[in-house]
Amino acid sequence: MSSKREKKIKDKVCEIPVLVILLVLALLVIIPVIWMTFSAFKPEKEIISWPPTFFPHVLTGQNFVDVQKRINILRYMLNSAIYAGGTTALAVIVNSMAGYAYAFYDFKGKSGLFLLTLATMMVPFQVIMVPLFLVVFKLGMYDSYWGLIIPRVVVAGSIFMMRAAFTGLPKELAEAARIDGLSEFGIFRKIMLPQVKPAIITLTILSVNGSWNDLLWPMIVTSSTEMRTLANGLALFIGQNTIEYGAAFAGALISLLPMFLLYIFGQKYFVEGMASSGLKG
Amino acid sequence: MKKRAISILLTTAMTISLFTGCGGAEKAAEAPQAEKEPAAQESEGEQTQPEADSQTAAESVKVTFWNSFTGADGDMLTDLVNRYNEENTDGITVEMDISADFDSQLSTAFAAGTGPTMILSSSAYRFTYGDYMQDISDVFEKTNLDKTDFIQSYLDYCSEGDTLYFVPFQIVGYYMYWNKDLFTAAGLDPETPPSTWDEWAEYAQKLTDESKNVYGSGISYDYAYQIAHIMQRFGGLAVTGESGNWKANFEGNSGYAKFLNMYQTMVQNGDNPLEADTDSMASAGQIGMTVGGPWVTAGLDTAGVNYGIGLIPTGDAGDMNSVEVLGFSVTTAASDAEKAAAYKFIEWWNTENAEGSSPALEWSVANGFPAYTYSVQEKDAYKASAKLSAMSAANPDAPTDFIVDSSFPGTNAVIADVIPEMINSVAFGSSSVEDALAKAQEAADKITANY
Amino acid sequence: MKACIKYWNKPSRCAYLFLAPSVILLILFSVIPLAAAFGLSLFDVPITMNTASFVGFTNFIEAFHDERFLNSLKVTAVFTLLEVPLQVFGALVIASFLTKNNFRNKLLRAIYFLPVICSATAVGIMWKMILHSNIGFITAVLQTMGLGKINFLNTPGLTIFVVSFISLWRSFGISAIIYVTAIQQVSASLYEAAEMDGAGKIKQFFHITAPSIRPTFWYILMTRFAGALQIFDIIYITTNGGPNYTTESTVTYIYSRAFSSASSMGYASAMSVILFVIIMAVTVVMYRKMNKED
Repeated sequence: MSSKREKKIKDKVCEIPVLVILLVLALLVIIPVIWMTFSAFKPEKEIISWPPTFFPHVLTGQNFVDVQKRINILRYMLNSAIYAGGTTALAVIVNSMAGYAYAFYDFKGKSGLFLLTLATMMVPFQVIMVPLFLVVFKLGMYDSYWGLIIPRVVVAGSIFMMRAAFTGLPKELAEAARIDGLSEFGIFRKIMLPQVKPAIITLTILSVNGSWNDLLWPMIVTSSTEMRTLANGLALFIGQNTIEYGAAFAGALISLLPMFLLYIFGQKYFVEGMASSGLKG
Repeated sequence: MKKRAISILLTTAMTISLFTGCGGAEKAAEAPQAEKEPAAQESEGEQTQPEADSQTAAESVKVTFWNSFTGADGDMLTDLVNRYNEENTDGITVEMDISADFDSQLSTAFAAGTGPTMILSSSAYRFTYGDYMQDISDVFEKTNLDKTDFIQSYLDYCSEGDTLYFVPFQIVGYYMYWNKDLFTAAGLDPETPPSTWDEWAEYAQKLTDESKNVYGSGISYDYAYQIAHIMQRFGGLAVTGESGNWKANFEGNSGYAKFLNMYQTMVQNGDNPLEADTDSMASAGQIGMTVGGPWVTAGLDTAGVNYGIGLIPTGDAGDMNSVEVLGFSVTTAASDAEKAAAYKFIEWWNTENAEGSSPALEWSVANGFPAYTYSVQEKDAYKASAKLSAMSAANPDAPTDFIVDSSFPGTNAVIADVIPEMINSVAFGSSSVEDALAKAQEAADKITANY
Repeated sequence: MKACIKYWNKPSRCAYLFLAPSVILLILFSVIPLAAAFGLSLFDVPITMNTASFVGFTNFIEAFHDERFLNSLKVTAVFTLLEVPLQVFGALVIASFLTKNNFRNKLLRAIYFLPVICSATAVGIMWKMILHSNIGFITAVLQTMGLGKINFLNTPGLTIFVVSFISLWRSFGISAIIYVTAIQQVSASLYEAAEMDGAGKIKQFFHITAPSIRPTFWYILMTRFAGALQIFDIIYITTNGGPNYTTESTVTYIYSRAFSSASSMGYASAMSVILFVIIMAVTVVMYRKMNKED
């Protein structure tokens, strides 16, 4: 009894330095973001000034007006949403299927295939960009949503992550279902997939976020302005010789908002993922 | 097991690479034909558009137009292109795409045989993408543009022998900007900028005020174009000669050595900051004197800096008016109809309207780029611009080559590799001026050997 | 039909069905372009790719004599050694404090996640402005605190640390969140049992948490490794390799060789092949270790 109380006290004492560290980190993370947010509401003159300011002396919405005026923000947002949504929907299905196979099955060529998958993660995108473009072009997918989405569905890292998530599950789950007469796909869909909900949510967030902020690929694989994504549109404020800081920060804030909401929304489901674990608790 | 997996991986890779290698080569060879593919696909999607070849006047032509004019001047370009699309009665639509990553987009598109109809780029692109550019020397016959109105030395930048690759669009010269308030504060005459480089160094020392974080001289170690414009005033062109016999002039160039020594001294004395982004400092009013393109004024104006513009001080190498020329070019992806439409657009750009103004003039005045035609130079609006008159004060007969002979194809390599390595090693003291020049010579010799 | 389903319903066979979509897409959009890039490394190809002359291994020999390439390998190695351990272990420690789903943790997680969802371009120019040697906010604050004028982005030797920090700043949130989800999946009964035995938090961490989340640990370690060895965007936007090439990573250099200056696709590809071999070697070693532990 007494040892338990002692331990509790010890834990509480440990909490204080931990809390301090966590808070310092949070400040380190958030101060630059707040600086950027404030800057989006400063006139250009104040962003670049000596001495530098943190809080805006003059508040202005001009930067947001400029962004509105310069780019067709709704159309670009729609494109980004289609790109991110399409890629993510397919990515979740395809990558979790693959991850499941690597985690749960033994088959010929498993190591080889997995290494091949990993290998594709090892090459900088900038290097395969041109040949990749040629492939997309030959398949007739140039300047279309398909061309944007399909080549970005399979991500070695995501397969790897799903594999890690599935590896953590007990094999007995599958065995029990097999005895109950469930098909292999049924086991995957009905038993296994619900178990890795947090991982799927993480994958979703990663994938949506990755395509939402992706700059290079949409630029190369589309050519018409109607196909532009938001990230591309925002890059226009950063010229070769001049940067419009205010507009760039305002644009960054606009593009950040949907992702942030998605994250807050997604975080709710982390809890659920834990509560619904079949054999646990 | 693992060994086998890797060997399989390797063999497949080899086979496929052979396969795609061939495919790629074939593709490139038939590039001009292949270019029509995407157009065909698009029209399929938008329903029928039969007989692309028949040229009736009413038929609409789409000109795809790529450039890298991100930033504020891209706004104005967009407005002008929109105006053209509304005004023109030839059924031409110019579809502009401003790209933040122009180079990679262009190279991938060309490699696949797609590519736009028209591009706007530095005339040096002819050395890289010349194979994908059409000869447009007949633009003066097929339109009302008058060749004699164009300043010849700029046209030279745009051509190779009799082949014309570009019609000039913008002349980019670099100028000196000085902060008048800082001059006053340092007890210097705000209306008299330095006219020699010795004066520059002397003023820099006076202008520097450590307590206020103010630096007299703002030369960035990370800005090769700026360095190049200054450097050639000390020691002339870095590459001279003629095709097949180019000669690099780094080693033993006393002018270059003098510049590097001066720069090193200013950095060591704290009169010139070790900072890549000196433009922002100039806008913040923290820099006494700097050198840059006309876009510098945009930042200075928004920030409300009280500044003056003048020519870059002359050095030992004498009078020069170094510029880069940007121009319109028509790619091999363009059909004859598209090429004709592109000509119409270029013609419109340089043609006066009823009020005697032209897009070219508007562009020049608004963005502060000197004119490339005599007719624009004569306009009142042009003459009235204080910026332009300061910039146009350059000796019209001075050579216009920028850092290398204007027909030397290796310009990009010299600016992107040789000069940055040289200035970095001097700025950060990792080698002596002599060693830096010797190394630059070695690197430049490698480049000249290629052409 | 039924027989067909039955045939494929065997665990050993249906694995291929599960893998088919990903493998097909990988071959089309990763393996073929990769092979093509490898093929290019044996040629002298300009940026427009309209001519190609076979040069054998010349590009590789040149690479090993190219000071800038060798320097870039060194920079990449330093960056990786700075960033990966801090990321992989630091995020794990942070995550272990954030597993409970209470308000404080949710708030902290959301804060740590903020940089992840900012676009790289915005993050780049933001840090560039904040750390500017003259008009940067942080520089000015440190100066008024009497810490002197620190030139974060233009000091050889220091800037690589700054770049590593920015990279960490940008992505440790996601590593932490992935750890959190993994730790949350660890069966609560294990902790209860440990609690009964009187094991403290630290003991629980080492004896229950750490072993249970091994697959996730490997995932993060290996992806971060591959990511760090390919570091590009943050450097490209903040320093572009400067000052004096002390932050020029291999991919940054490859990119400039491929697209900007004296473009040579063949040479750029050759350097990527070398980088690929290095990353692959490291990965295979780690993969073996991981398999042994699984």
